[in-house]
Amino acid sequence: MKITKMLLPALVAAAPFFYSCQESTDVVESGTYQGTIQEVEPEKDEIYVKTDDGKVLELYFTESTTLTHNGETVPFDHLKEGGKVEVQVEKTGQRLDPVAVKILE
Amino acid sequence: MSEPTFWRTEIWHPLSVHFPIAILLLATIAKSVALFVQGDQKPFWQKAGSYLLYLGFITAWVAIYTGDMADGIVSRKLCDPTVLKDHEIAAFNVAYLFSAAAALNLLLSFGLIKVWPKALHVLTVVLMLIGSGYLTYAGHLGAQVVYQQAGGVNIPTSDCAGFE
Repeated sequence: MKITKMLLPALVAAAPFFYSCQESTDVVESGTYQGTIQEVEPEKDEIYVKTDDGKVLELYFTESTTLTHNGETVPFDHLKEGGKVEVQVEKTGQRLDPVAVKILE
Repeated sequence: MSEPTFWRTEIWHPLSVHFPIAILLLATIAKSVALFVQGDQKPFWQKAGSYLLYLGFITAWVAIYTGDMADGIVSRKLCDPTVLKDHEIAAFNVAYLFSAAAALNLLLSFGLIKVWPKALHVLTVVLMLIGSGYLTYAGHLGAQVVYQQAGGVNIPTSDCAGFE
């Protein structure tokens, strides 16, 4: 009981640090990159892609972004966390606009 | 061309975010004062700090929610959205730190923790002070998004079309 009482405040105090591991995102040059989808946010048409060299790209789809799978255009809900993708991005300032996203598997 | 509507989705964030900024900073001041004053004044500062802390951490989560609503719209137009991402990370740290402080404070207030009360009161204030640091940093980054990159800002045309 005493141990529980001692651990409780320690856990409460440590709680914020469980979250503080949230990653910031990276900026890369315009080009084509392969990686794995880390997170999909369908309500924002947004994906996070971790490239093969460990960079995290935050990509907001635009009206002109194309999304394909096996050469066919597919809707946004085909993107799944953990899926492999190839993304062509255009760097504008420090913003990465996805030009084309191909689902690889 | 007509004047764009004021009640755009991204407007809810600046409308809601200034409440927790003011309330949480005042809560931190009140709780810090409570650590040092003695006698009759101590309960006043403790209670004032506690109520401000509870109100502040709730409104902080409201601001996080409205910030998330604005993010999807504003990020697409910024020249450096990494500043917005850092703003978001700092804001989440604020919300988690003050939530932890509020939880600790509640446990102490209701007598659910009886060990090391003085040390835990100090720990609560330390969490709030770190939270205030993140709050200042998040505010600075938020200001950069608005004043450096015009995030969420309607920019009228040079001939002020729509404002006749």
